[in-house]
Amino acid sequence: MSAAGLVFAASAVIALVGAVFAVSFKNIFHNILGFALAMLGVAGIFLSLGSDFLAIAFVIVYVGAVAIAMVYAVMLSYPLDLPQKRRSGAKILGAAAVAAAGAAAVWAVLRSMPWRAADFPSKVSAAATGVRFLGDYVLVFELISVLLVVAMMGSVMVARRVRVGEHA
Amino acid sequence: MIGLPALLAVASALFGIGLYGLLQRRSLVAMLIALELMVAAVSILVVALTTWTGRGAVAGQVIVLILAGVAAAESAIALSMFVAIHRASSTIDVETLSELKG
Repeated sequence: MSAAGLVFAASAVIALVGAVFAVSFKNIFHNILGFALAMLGVAGIFLSLGSDFLAIAFVIVYVGAVAIAMVYAVMLSYPLDLPQKRRSGAKILGAAAVAAAGAAAVWAVLRSMPWRAADFPSKVSAAATGVRFLGDYVLVFELISVLLVVAMMGSVMVARRVRVGEHA
Repeated sequence: MIGLPALLAVASALFGIGLYGLLQRRSLVAMLIALELMVAAVSILVVALTTWTGRGAVAGQVIVLILAGVAAAESAIALSMFVAIHRASSTIDVETLSELKG
């Protein structure tokens, strides 16, 4: 097996184990840690596909920013001291059945498409991505930055405590 | 080069795990985590198919970067809404949040 294949196999195991942790544990902190592990695995899969820049971006955005924001939201909101109500077995089984059917449907559609392999394995450099992003896709780049600013200001506005006598 | 069936299987499995979490969990934060897992599965698919078929590989990277930016904005808004909802009704359990004008 090639080096990329080894990286892919290890990353896929990490991603799937982390994803199972992220949805299965009762403690929400363990879920967030599992989510961070799963995103590290996804970044490893990108690395094995030759997309170095995307792997680094995923680690920074998801493992760094989104997971930390989730920890903050949980510390501000989640009642960790309260006992969790148990979910009925029928609901868990139903959710598992629908999820399995969904995954099987995605798999079936993907397998039915006539994908053709490239003649040579393509490795996308960060330079090529940057040139394309600031060339053809520069409007989208600017829109994303505006979107992030609006989301940041909006989340501060939504989450802040309104004092008595102050307009929201 | 990694086989395409393995890539498609990992993405489908990640999507299924995320769908299970979205349906089964009741905490809004846990549902957001499951949603992000499904977005990650889609990102894997875009990168895998564009690099494996060798067509539009750079555009695939750009699309996934845009997707990550939108998902980050979405989770920022969602988490701040969870904090505000918790402040108003002291729970983020979706089965007890049934009032719209609470």
